[in-house]
Parts: sequence; structure tokens; C-alpha cells
Amino acid sequence: MNPLEPAWRKQKSIPSSSRHAVDLIRELLDQLELSQWTNRQIFGIHLAMEEALMNAIKHGNLNDESKTVCVEIELTKEQFQAKITDEGEGFCLEDVPDPTEDVNLELPSGRGVAMIKNFVDQAIYNPTGNSVTLMARRKTKPAD
Amino acid sequence: MPFDCIKLEDVDEISVVRFKDEKVMDPSRIEKMGQELMSLAGDDDQRNLLINFEDVRFFSSAAINKLIVLEKRMRAGGGEIKLSNLRPEVRDLFSFTNLDGLFDIREQQSDAIRSFVKSTSD
Repeated sequence: MNPLEPAWRKQKSIPSSSRHAVDLIRELLDQLELSQWTNRQIFGIHLAMEEALMNAIKHGNLNDESKTVCVEIELTKEQFQAKITDEGEGFCLEDVPDPTEDVNLELPSGRGVAMIKNFVDQAIYNPTGNSVTLMARRKTKPAD
Repeated sequence: MPFDCIKLEDVDEISVVRFKDEKVMDPSRIEKMGQELMSLAGDDDQRNLLINFEDVRFFSSAAINKLIVLEKRMRAGGGEIKLSNLRPEVRDLFSFTNLDGLFDIREQQSDAIRSFVKSTSD
């Protein structure tokens, strides 16, 4: 099998509710386990997806269930990629407080964005800030 | 008081909290968990808390925010909070965001209990 050929692909627009996000994440986790990604990598992808989807629902679409979050996921033998887009006005990454600074440690905001950055290989936001593309490369060789 | 999201036991006069959910991620459960933890901080008899993460496989940033609020409340009341038994990936959550400076994180529950005893006897 071509390592770049998608092993699993999903494109779905979900209403802005955590229940729908959880269902989608569960489906992705099943696929990662099926493809024998390591527990540590599954944890990282789970965390990044959870934070990105919750940001889109809460901060992007302001929990308005009439608005949707568009999710495109592609899993190949070698990498995971997901694009999450909300209907919000977006945000500027530079305006998000750095939660690792001592003065910001106790602030509730910014931690999700920092976690996303640390747990996947790439997190690229569009210029508007209402869409993020996550990418993680597989660290270990999958079993044939 | 019965709890939905946490379990509570006393070990050597320290209140040890465990989470009932393996994956602490559902927003409504996180809200409830936060309320239950805060009820412990408001109790004068519960001065020191140890949170044992042994059963936790996933913890979101929203859940971490609840712990930060709890830590603030405990500190203001003269109490202490420690964490123990974190899986490596859950431990990463705290170290990547520098929160291992805010929380006293121990490998094992017994280490954490001993360190409470030591700090109260100093």
C-alpha cells in the first residue's frame, strides 16, 4: 500500500455542540487504534483535536448550535492531518496570552492553543484565524 | 456528600481525590467535577488535598483550568494541593504549559503523603 494513500478519510460538518465533537473524536480514535499508532501519539492527537474543536465551538461559533464546524480528517499510513473550520470571525494568534509565562500561569485562556502546538507536529492557522490544520507524523513504523 | 465525578478517601489525615472518569473531557462533567472539587476547598476540615491521577487517561485544558482555580482557593485558605500518579503523557500536559511550577507533582501517592506530613511537621 502506498504510505501516502489515505487509509481513512472523513469530512463532516457538525453542529456546535460538544456531543457531536466527542462522537467524531471517538471515531478518529478507533481508526488510530486500528492503525496501531502508539498510545502516546493517540493521546497527543486526541488532545489537539479536542482543544481545536472546543475552541471552534466555544470561541469561534460562540456555542451557537445553528452554526457548524467543518472537519476534514485524512489518515494515511504515515501521517494524520485534520482541518477544522468554524463560522466565527477568527482570532489573531499573537493576541493569545502565552500561558507558560509566569504572569499568565493562572489565566484560563491560551492553554488550549499552547497544548495543540506541543502535541502535534504542526498547527497552521489561516490568516483569518477561523481555521486550523493539524498534522502529526507517525513516529513508529506501522506493522505490515 | 455524595460525588458524581470524584472519589474521596482519607489517608494519614490527607484527603485523597481520584477521578471517576478515565477521560476527563466532557464539558458538563468537567463543570460538575470543578464544583465538587471546590466544595472540598470550602470545607474547613479539608486543609490539604492530594489528587491521584492513576485512573486518568485523558485530561483537557478545561479540566486543568478547574485545578488552577482550586489551587488558588486552597492557597488562599492556607491549604496545600499536590498531584500524584500521572501517566507520562498527562504529566506532559503540565510540563509543556509550565504548570509543574504551580503544582507540586509527585511520582507516587506515598511520596506525596510523606511530603505533606513533612511540610506540616516542619
